Amino acid sequence: MRMTPTAIFIGALAILAAVVFVMVFWPYAQRDMTPSEIFRPRTLVEAEGRAIYIANGCVYCHSQSIRTFDWGHGAERIAQAGDYVSDEPILLGSQRTGVDLSQEGGEHPDDWHIAHFINPRYTRPNSIMPPFRWLGLEKINTLTRYIQALGLKQADQRMGRQTYWKKEAIQAYEAGPVYNVKWLAEHVPAGWRHIPNPYPTTAAGLMRGRRVYADFCIGCHGPIGDGMGDAQPWIYPPPLNFTILKDRQISGGILYYQIMNGITGTAMPYFKRELESQKIWEVGNYVAVYFINQSDANTAPHGIDSAWEP
Amino acid sequence: MASSANNDRPNHRTARAFCLTSAFWFAAAASFGMIGAGYLIAPDFMANIGWLHFGKARPMHVNLMLFGFVTPGLLAAAFYYVPKLLRTALYSEKLGVFTAILWNITLPIGVVGLAQGRSQGREYAEWPWSVDMLIVVLFALVIFNLVMTVRRRLEPIIYVSIWYVCAAVILTGTTYCIGNVIWKPSTGALLGIPDAILLWFYGHNVFGLLLTPLGLGVAYYVLPLATRSPLYSHTLSLIGFWSLIVVYTHIGTHHLLQVPVPTWLKTIAIVDSVAMVIPVMVFLINIWYTVQGKLGTIHADIGAKFVFTGTIYYFFVNIQGSMMALPQVQRVTHFNNWVVGHAHIGVLGFAGVVAIGGIYYVLPKITGRPLYSRFLADLQYWLLLIGVTGFAVVLTIVGLIQGNAWLNGETVYRVLPEIHLYYILRASLGVFIISGAYIGLYNIFRTLYFNPGAATACE
Repeated sequence: MRMTPTAIFIGALAILAAVVFVMVFWPYAQRDMTPSEIFRPRTLVEAEGRAIYIANGCVYCHSQSIRTFDWGHGAERIAQAGDYVSDEPILLGSQRTGVDLSQEGGEHPDDWHIAHFINPRYTRPNSIMPPFRWLGLEKINTLTRYIQALGLKQADQRMGRQTYWKKEAIQAYEAGPVYNVKWLAEHVPAGWRHIPNPYPTTAAGLMRGRRVYADFCIGCHGPIGDGMGDAQPWIYPPPLNFTILKDRQISGGILYYQIMNGITGTAMPYFKRELESQKIWEVGNYVAVYFINQSDANTAPHGIDSAWEP
Repeated sequence: MASSANNDRPNHRTARAFCLTSAFWFAAAASFGMIGAGYLIAPDFMANIGWLHFGKARPMHVNLMLFGFVTPGLLAAAFYYVPKLLRTALYSEKLGVFTAILWNITLPIGVVGLAQGRSQGREYAEWPWSVDMLIVVLFALVIFNLVMTVRRRLEPIIYVSIWYVCAAVILTGTTYCIGNVIWKPSTGALLGIPDAILLWFYGHNVFGLLLTPLGLGVAYYVLPLATRSPLYSHTLSLIGFWSLIVVYTHIGTHHLLQVPVPTWLKTIAIVDSVAMVIPVMVFLINIWYTVQGKLGTIHADIGAKFVFTGTIYYFFVNIQGSMMALPQVQRVTHFNNWVVGHAHIGVLGFAGVVAIGGIYYVLPKITGRPLYSRFLADLQYWLLLIGVTGFAVVLTIVGLIQGNAWLNGETVYRVLPEIHLYYILRASLGVFIISGAYIGLYNIFRTLYFNPGAATACE
């Protein structure tokens, strides 16, 4: 074959045209833009928040694309084409340096997000996200509106839950510490309330609990468990002060349940995705021993001793 | 033929300008990369510098590497060898220099745009619309200059390097317009899932239809000439050229295997990703057989040494790429640092290293004097070699840790402390790369200006 300029230019462009037709134009012509059952259009302020998200390159670390085999944040909703019908550009992302945000809306209340944007390490001590304090509160608020709408109708549902329980939690907090602690405990299912920590306190277990506390809890509850962590100024109701809990019937079961399930409406997230059973018991016992100064570990009633116990 | 044709002393101002452009933006882009790597280790280290946090440094780094360092670097050699191989002069050196100047005006506008947050939010298509338009103009100017040079050729046979250069600029000029949706200036995007399909068609073709053909063009020029060996096979050149254009253009959707796009599209992308071994191996067989037994000659010529090393990275990046397109593999590799490692092998290890090789090969022919310092060029070679190979190893390890942990149900947050060490290693290796970039800038600058000449050069 003799390669003339015509052969090169026309040949290359003809191939490109054919491929663009098949690989780009054909799927475009066949596109299904039917909104999915969770779709709703974004409000003006949410769209404005999305523009801030794009301007600051959030897409480089956060995907919005839940796959069939995901476990983490938002994994309950596997992405469908109809979820993206108003996205221009679409923000699927190509990296998960941070979490997937497809269903972030309503996972946390607004105040958690504000504290997190001011400095991500205030609420997530091991985070490697840059701080966004420089955006200013107005833009942070706008961005938060977009984040809280991620997941669209499902986000609205979760946000409804956050708003309802936030009101309740504020009321309880403002009624004073005695009522607040009672209110918190009463919302733990009865079974859990009466379970002491089934495992004995060990020095090694406390060290492990300390590490979990430093990785997950210290930003809000602070290094001495008094609820004065870095995030505290931004969060309302403020993080719980563990040091007032002595003699208030805080069982190992209550601690376990609150860590596992979180307290919706407050900045206390659930940790069931991140901490396995042993880690939750141990961080609970660390809090009980060091901050509450009263642990029910290994007290009655407990079943047959676990095989590993010393 | 290179040295004997210097009688009429063409000044090669275009090639010179592009050499300098490439060297400068390599240093700049590596600096932004270093800043990004710093953020991953210590996110508060440049806290609250609103225009340069990770989300802004990253697109600056990527776009400057692609359009500031590698593309001008590969074009620098092309502006020298295209006229040379056609036994003519470049159609217009004035136009070429103007193109280089406009290039160096466009990139800072783009960087400032990204710093201001005017990104369009689509990977490799972030530049705001005004910069897109300037880049389209730049490609038009390059195409015009090269096409007119081809028309004025005295040599009837068009060598394979020129096929690749012509195809690269004309195809990328086209895909750049389509991929950046330049008819929609406000968003530069389509709506919904088709936007993802278009974006990755374009994004992958920045590598497939721009960096790769330009890089292969340089390899086809430098390696046979440096070893004084005739090209192994014209037939393989033909098969390699046409199969590259056919196959590479099909595979962009392999970025979307885990996304709700039509299954037939994914199937084509996977099949063609595996079929990439055809153009790749055809090229490598052709070029490696050409230089068979001449490794000593290659080693003696710093330009050829860079280019040959680039072909080895080309082998690795493509084998790896074909493998990553398999759905079972991608379940582990997607969304994590494995892909970042892959990108660095491709853009820096292959295209970037070949670009530097092309520059070092043509610079002495352009200036009529040896390189300012062969020692510095060798130092740069080893710094880049250690840096990019280290990147490949470290980022692949991180990717495997992340991908397997996630598959096993670990959250992203839980894995962060485990990979911290590797981010430090990665930044440390980045120091090698950034040092190589600045040393290269100095060496290329001194070769072009204030070059004391043969007396003090090592060669």
